[in-house]
Amino acid sequence: MKTTRRNCLIILFGLLLSACGGGSSLSRVDQGTIDGVLHFGNGTEPQTIDPHIATGVPEHHVITALFEGLATKNPYTLESEPGVAESWDISEDGKTYIFHIRPNARWSNGDAVTAEDFRWSWERILTPELASEYSYMLYPIANAENFNKGRIPDFNQVGVKVLDQLTLEVQLRAPTPYFLQLMDHYSTFPVHRATIEAFGSYTDQLSQWSREGNIVSNGPFQLAEWRINSHIRVEKSMSYWDTDSVKLNSIIFYPTDNLITEERMFRDGLIHRTEDVPLDKVPVYLEEDPDTIVIAPYLSSYYYMINTTKPPLDDLRVRRALSMSVDRDLLNETVLENIMVPAYFLTPPGTVGYEPPVTFAYDPEQARALLAEAGYPNGEGFPYFEILYNTQENHRRIAVAIQEMWRETLNIDVGIVNQEWQVYLESVGNINYDVARRGWVGDYVDPNTYLDMFITGGGNNNTGFSNARYDEIMLNEAPLKLNNEERFALYTEAETILMDNMPIIPIYIYQTKNLKNPDMKGAPSNIMDHYNWKYVYLESDQ
Amino acid sequence: MSNQTTQIENIDAMPKGVSLWDDAWIRLKKNKLAMVGLCFLIFMMIVCLMAPLLTPYGYEEQDLRLGASAPSVTHWLGTDTFGRDMLTRILYGGRVSLMVGFIATSVALLIGVTYGAIAGYAGGKVDALMMRLVDIIYALPFMIFIVLLMVVFGRNLLLLFLAIGAVEWLVMARIVRGQIQNLKQQEFVEAAISLGLSPGAIIRKHLIPNALGPIIVYTTLTIPNVMLLEAFLSFLGLGIQPPQSSWGLLISYGVESMEEYPWLLIFPGLALTLTLFALNFMGDGLRDALDPKASRD
Repeated sequence: MKTTRRNCLIILFGLLLSACGGGSSLSRVDQGTIDGVLHFGNGTEPQTIDPHIATGVPEHHVITALFEGLATKNPYTLESEPGVAESWDISEDGKTYIFHIRPNARWSNGDAVTAEDFRWSWERILTPELASEYSYMLYPIANAENFNKGRIPDFNQVGVKVLDQLTLEVQLRAPTPYFLQLMDHYSTFPVHRATIEAFGSYTDQLSQWSREGNIVSNGPFQLAEWRINSHIRVEKSMSYWDTDSVKLNSIIFYPTDNLITEERMFRDGLIHRTEDVPLDKVPVYLEEDPDTIVIAPYLSSYYYMINTTKPPLDDLRVRRALSMSVDRDLLNETVLENIMVPAYFLTPPGTVGYEPPVTFAYDPEQARALLAEAGYPNGEGFPYFEILYNTQENHRRIAVAIQEMWRETLNIDVGIVNQEWQVYLESVGNINYDVARRGWVGDYVDPNTYLDMFITGGGNNNTGFSNARYDEIMLNEAPLKLNNEERFALYTEAETILMDNMPIIPIYIYQTKNLKNPDMKGAPSNIMDHYNWKYVYLESDQ
Repeated sequence: MSNQTTQIENIDAMPKGVSLWDDAWIRLKKNKLAMVGLCFLIFMMIVCLMAPLLTPYGYEEQDLRLGASAPSVTHWLGTDTFGRDMLTRILYGGRVSLMVGFIATSVALLIGVTYGAIAGYAGGKVDALMMRLVDIIYALPFMIFIVLLMVVFGRNLLLLFLAIGAVEWLVMARIVRGQIQNLKQQEFVEAAISLGLSPGAIIRKHLIPNALGPIIVYTTLTIPNVMLLEAFLSFLGLGIQPPQSSWGLLISYGVESMEEYPWLLIFPGLALTLTLFALNFMGDGLRDALDPKASRD
């Protein structure tokens, strides 16, 4: 009670101050537009900004400002553009990439960025002791998986070779059409060896090297200030090779778990952009302020993961019953304000032409029959379990609606628990949950980014799902196919296996919804919700 | 020995005595505001307990297509964003809120008064030791303390009440100790001691009844505190979980959409405020009624 009362006082005092200060002074956002300071609502407090440890979207926004990979993406077309590498050559068979690193690429401490930096960084993320959840992103590289799984101890056997200081040769195990896109993912970003080693072991996940004052990075911005649960401020880097193209002077990332607060911050001119919009506000903005609300297709899937190792959820019939009793159309039309796409599959439809198979439908009758077959006629004796979500109003609403759908259709008692982002990630990572909400944003534009999650023991599998045929397709068959048609046929087979085993309950395909100040330019909507910070600038229309 | 027996035999002959409690009741009945408060509280408890008989809806029953609707003939207090009847939810929420209010406060009262009275009466080293312990617990960040208790005890409604009570007793202990220290200097306590009453009996029969005034005032302040605390904890995912609700939780959800659907905030807010008013009036009346120093008019 002590703390809450003090908070109230602070808020009251703040209100009083702002009331007195009103009148002619500019809002923070307008001042930011003049000074080139972007105030960016970033959703939640990043778990880390170590590119090899991070897994979330809030982390992604910060890390892409601080680091740069071999290639970047054009925010308008999502085509790969030169990054640290000024050019690259791809062999005829699509299995050898030679990257030419620019001679003027620099770390923020002035050191040159070299081919060896990349080799060492990739060795780091693939080192089994680091236990990076994203190490599988590098599996297209020859022998990377074997090294990561400890089958070969010598990194020299992995297909990464330093030809000279500025030339890096990468051997792939199979032609990988999306390989260049991976160069813009933070798992392939270079990290500064001397800095990491100065702060302890390079396999220490909790190393302090990425903290304020310690970190050395190579991106368009440098970390200036990190106040936990308050903000992260990055400032334009003068040592960046393309510093003249960087238009913003600084970006301040605000972690705001509470969407209501974030929306009010936006309305009060405190941030240029919000991470999300409270569902209740969507119709209001669409009607009254359509210029500031942005709703755009998003390569992202919202689903519930099921802990398939825990009874009664280890019973396929139970999992199918749960999935079949979720009325996704009703959910979309009501709770989701009709702006999402109901999903009966994992991969967003139309990802470079891939159409996911639909193998089941909303069917309460069959769901009840399945549950009865599993030994729980009319839900009798069904053990209590809980839906876990990371604290946020929109997730809570979906959970409350689904909880009731399950109670009504299957007559089972389901609880709901919420955890803060970091705790939630840990619970999910340790498969310490019953059913957990998850959203997955594609790391690159290809169905592979969804389907390769569920290989046995995959870092983001987290459900205990394991299927030999599925692994065979994802690891050995699909990567070898040269044309998309054959590859997608295999993906269809894999996704059918996945949905037949139902380790996840697909719910909907996202559309992004943010509030965006019209002053924020050079940040077009794209299906990755990707910001290339070099392109972003602030300009007032008045 | 023989003396005492004669006294007891004569008791029927004496005019009928009025006990402290009868006396207080008579005085309380004269306080109109306190009686209104009391009646309102009893009314609230009865409707909350009889909720299933009073409304045709279940508190978890959704009507997603209906969504949030303003008060109407079918839903007297409107519905929330899931189409759940607000009146039903307020009645069921009242069960949790009133329960947490009374149970947690009783726990705080029991621990606080006993602890404070013992410390105050014993004095000296025992007192110093006991009060330093209170200081130490008080200095602990209170949220961490509750979270710890919840982790140890697990998420359970009754244990939540106990955990809150286990935190709220500290101030009560200090208040009671201060009162007792003051009272034990007075002649009637000395008289009791010289009559050979045991310390326990002195505390129970003489000290605590005389300290009732501040205790009751503080109790009426603790109840609303505890109700808000429960809402706060539930909001963090530590208290009760959907679809169950309490007034505090309904209010915090109501705040989320107060611009679009004001009735989601107003009605649970009213229920809580009126109850707290009633409690305060009753507390005032009780304090006046129970004060043994007040003259009998």
